[in-house]
Amino acid sequence: MNFEDKTWLQRGRWLLLIALAAGMYVWSWNAAGMQPSLLIEGAPKARGIIKDLLQPHLFTRPEEIQEAETVIEAPCSGSPPSPAPDEGSSDGPAVQIEPACASAEDPVMVSGFGFRPNTSGRLHWAPAGMQGRLRDEQFTTDAQGAFTVETTVPPLLEQQGGVSGVVAQVEWESGALQPSEPLRTTIEKIIETVFLALMATTLGGIIAVPLSFLGARNIMPRTPAGNAVYGLTRGFFNVMRSIEPIILATIFAIWVGFGPFAGVLALSIVTIASLGKLYSEAAESIQEGPIEAVTATGANRFQVVVYGVVPQIVPPYTAFTIYQWDINVRISTIIGFVGGGGVGFVLRNWINQTRWTWASVAVWAIVIVVWLMDYTSARVREAIV
Amino acid sequence: MLEIQNLTKIYEDGTLALDDVSFTVEDGEFLVVIGLSGSGKSTLLRCINRLVEPTSGRVIWDGEDITAASQEELRKIRRQIGMIFQQFNLVKRSSVMTNVLSGRLGYVNPWLSLAHQFPREERERAMHNLELVGIAGKAQNRADELSGGQQQRVGIARALMQNPKLMLADEPVASLDPATSHSVLKYIEHLNRDQGVTVLCSLHFLSLARRYGTRIIALKAGQIVFDGLPEEIDDHRFKEIYGEEAVQVEVR
Amino acid sequence: MVDEKDIAEETDPNRSPALASLLSLIVPGAGQLYLGERSRGLSFLGAAVILVGLLTWLDMSLLYIGLLPFWLWNAWDARQQAQGRQPSFVLGFVLIAVVVYAIGWQVTEISVLKLVEGVPRIQPVVASLLKPDVVTRDVEVMEAIHIFESPCSGSPPAVAQPKVDAPYLITEPTCADVDETITVRGGNFPPSRTGELWWENPIGQASRLRARGEFVNFETDAQGQFSQQIAVPDVVPESGQHGPQIHEIKPRVSTPVGSPHASETFWLVVRRVGETIAQALMATTLGILLAVPVSFFSARNLMAVNPVGTAVYYVTRTLLNILRSVEPLIMAIVFVVWVGLGPFAGVLALVAHSIAALGKLYSEAIESIDPGPIEAVSATGANRAQVVVYAVLPQVLPPFVAFSIYRWDINVRMSTILGFVGGGGIGFLLQQWIRLSDYNEAGTAIWAIAIVVTILDYASAQVRERIV
Ligand SMILES: Nc1ncnc2c1ncn2[C@@H]1O[C@H](COP(=O)(O)OP(=O)(O)OP(=O)(O)O)[C@@H](O)[C@H]1O
Ligand SMILES: [Mg+2]
Repeated sequence: MNFEDKTWLQRGRWLLLIALAAGMYVWSWNAAGMQPSLLIEGAPKARGIIKDLLQPHLFTRPEEIQEAETVIEAPCSGSPPSPAPDEGSSDGPAVQIEPACASAEDPVMVSGFGFRPNTSGRLHWAPAGMQGRLRDEQFTTDAQGAFTVETTVPPLLEQQGGVSGVVAQVEWESGALQPSEPLRTTIEKIIETVFLALMATTLGGIIAVPLSFLGARNIMPRTPAGNAVYGLTRGFFNVMRSIEPIILATIFAIWVGFGPFAGVLALSIVTIASLGKLYSEAAESIQEGPIEAVTATGANRFQVVVYGVVPQIVPPYTAFTIYQWDINVRISTIIGFVGGGGVGFVLRNWINQTRWTWASVAVWAIVIVVWLMDYTSARVREAIV
Repeated sequence: MLEIQNLTKIYEDGTLALDDVSFTVEDGEFLVVIGLSGSGKSTLLRCINRLVEPTSGRVIWDGEDITAASQEELRKIRRQIGMIFQQFNLVKRSSVMTNVLSGRLGYVNPWLSLAHQFPREERERAMHNLELVGIAGKAQNRADELSGGQQQRVGIARALMQNPKLMLADEPVASLDPATSHSVLKYIEHLNRDQGVTVLCSLHFLSLARRYGTRIIALKAGQIVFDGLPEEIDDHRFKEIYGEEAVQVEVR
Repeated sequence: MVDEKDIAEETDPNRSPALASLLSLIVPGAGQLYLGERSRGLSFLGAAVILVGLLTWLDMSLLYIGLLPFWLWNAWDARQQAQGRQPSFVLGFVLIAVVVYAIGWQVTEISVLKLVEGVPRIQPVVASLLKPDVVTRDVEVMEAIHIFESPCSGSPPAVAQPKVDAPYLITEPTCADVDETITVRGGNFPPSRTGELWWENPIGQASRLRARGEFVNFETDAQGQFSQQIAVPDVVPESGQHGPQIHEIKPRVSTPVGSPHASETFWLVVRRVGETIAQALMATTLGILLAVPVSFFSARNLMAVNPVGTAVYYVTRTLLNILRSVEPLIMAIVFVVWVGLGPFAGVLALVAHSIAALGKLYSEAIESIDPGPIEAVSATGANRAQVVVYAVLPQVLPPFVAFSIYRWDINVRMSTILGFVGGGGIGFLLQQWIRLSDYNEAGTAIWAIAIVVTILDYASAQVRERIV
């Protein structure tokens, strides 16, 4: 009887646990806004992005541009403008617009000739009194270098009034391949990223070494003061480790301004916390025996440290430091998101501008560098320990 | 001559490990300390070079009071007293050579030694000592690449670097197999007989104690329960030291 | 570390020290290569090429001078080698490190000066961060409204009379130009309190009065009266162009009423922290579920049995490695474009990263299982399923569990910042508050993160100890 009661109770407990877990998942599902259907709805957008990400814009050829301009009046004033007289060269590109004056949304026909054959170009409007240009239809020239585009007059032209410009522009690449702008920027920023991680690792590591002794149970005396220092140090490591570097970088960016220095400072703090913890644990696991043996030979305090302690902690400390550098390189790829320098800054800019083929260069560079760091750090650690 | 006078050690947690122990060791003796696990053997040996601070009592070595020595004097005394450990206590990640040289730290220039710089004759002496214990070929290996017996020989070579007049050996063979145990103890015996080094050695096996010791001290719960010649330990004495249930085991 | 004497190759005594050092002087490492010291020569050459390349790319020509000591040392080294000596590598290493750190110092724009200069900027921020906005008390605001003209017209408003039963404010005079000093007198406010002075311009924009950057406050006396001199603020854009206008001056005294209770910020943070944990939970669970099958495809001992399997192994491994290198935050941006702003995008980013990281760890655990027990169980005549249950699972389960808990820890941390790129969670609030300079609120979020992460860390450490 008793026995059966117990199994019933146990079963009940299990049921309760399962119900609890199920409840937690249902709540989490809602709280985390899980909507798998969005994945499918957004798939076309994602396909485009992923395609672009697989085609990094690595190299370009120098661009050559051919341009011709004419004018249009909007709205019509009664005396339509005559286009600026051609410079006289009949073989240069020229463009015409029909009619020469129109109102907003009126259809117009733009034709051009004398351009580079079989080349794509674009039509622009240069509204009167404005610096910028409005982008309009794309076109491709035929074998004779001529084209015709039908379009409508943008309302802005009428708003500005007077005589606006109509520009046909043809662009093509020529000459030798050269590194593209994103590639050059990325390389520069990746170098910055790696150095950022290096400086932070070094700075943080140097500070972490003495701190780690304060956080090592076997080194701190078991007096109230010793316990307090130990507890404080460990507490500092733990709290700091729980705050993501990005958050720290945001704060340091306020302090020293945007740029890699803010990143170095943020990463240094992170490094102090995480290396401090690892170092302390390594210091705690050193063996007493060798220290005793060296002491027994009549060595002085410094000699005991150099011959008994240092050889025991240098290999693990080195291994942890290299590991941390590896981690820091990863973090410094994103620390630029909040103004902390490194490749993250340009990456985020390019993504915001939806220049995915540019962003792709940065992403691939990150992949390569992180992978290289990962590989070398694993190798070096193997060799040391 | 080593005089132990009313030595008492009470650990911080209140354990009474040594209880008013007194005895004298003449130069050239091979004194073996036996006793059950926890009887205070290690504590006794460590109190002699003050790796463990005695609670009360005195240790006098060649007329000098070790227990009253200042840190500086203590270092001078320690460098004349070699010590061998059960767990060898080598710095595993340092080379054999460095481990052996570290035995000389009390003698060499302290500043140079911090940069791992040793005079040529010290390196030669280290090599010589390694030859003596038969592992000169391993000088550049990392200590943890050696077998247990080899590591203990490194430990001995390290102690030899001190040119000790007294050798403390705390269960030097407890982690070794019988054959290796004998070879290690033979080195120590050789030191004792041919170089006149006084030896204080704690051992687990009575058979080994009888074979190597010129005199035996037995500890029980921190007190001396026997002090005499090896031959004097008969069955009755044995039961007194190790308890009624114990049976003698031979190590050949 | 191996003693260099051991690996020293026999050097040919006929090699000329002069030639060796000359070669090294022209191209670092060349002398060493000439002497047959391949690894040494190549590493010197490599170091020199990389450093010169870096300095050229980064346009730091001045630092070429810094390379000089290394250059000379390397020539000296070649000479020593030719004479059969093996100088220690340490000095060369230090000389290289000096140049590397000099580059790093410049590239990362390290500047102690900036650190010092920024102190006044960061001090109030840190002070606010340390004072999280957790509890508040409701306040009762007592306000008076007074009409004021600026600049003066021919007919300024009449001088107001003190009210009897309501708070009031009187100015002396009733009109003035910008920057002129006027006297304000008020009464019928709660006694002995500090009040704020608000100024509302003609288009209804109210702001607190400031003098030299500091807010202007007033203290009421025991009768609830006060009197203060203030300067008329310039609160109308291009005020010179407008004629006389009517402003409103509003003295305000707020009195806390009721008992302290959790602030609005607190509840906002709690909600978002909940969302953050939910994200981590969903991501870890989904990540584990998906990583298990993936790990089978990327375990060499399972896949490399035929060419197809080997190919699958390499493809999966490579994909995992690529995915693993990309920080979840970067992935989150992509997913935000894909599924829109919100926690779901963050979850997806974490799932992708979890699959990559766990897939690798799991597959390594599978690769390192001991075939012994499998043979032993098979030898008893067990079938495949039994072999898996009795010989494979017991071996892979403990590492799987350990890695999963570890991943949970990481996901909790990561989910706190996904909001920085629109991926939901507490990071969203935090980033917004920092941008709006609401540092008390930001401090609340940071403390919440620190506390929650520390607690969850501790909890998972306990679970890990219990299980593994
Ligand atoms: N550091 C210490 N703190 C507290 N008590 C200790 C300490 N070291 C030893 N003791 C205690 O002192 C007593 C004697 O220990 P000791 O190590 O000297 O014995 P032992 O004879 O060497 O034993 P074994 O043969 O096991 O090495 C034991 O009860 C032990 O628990
Ligand atoms: Mg002992």
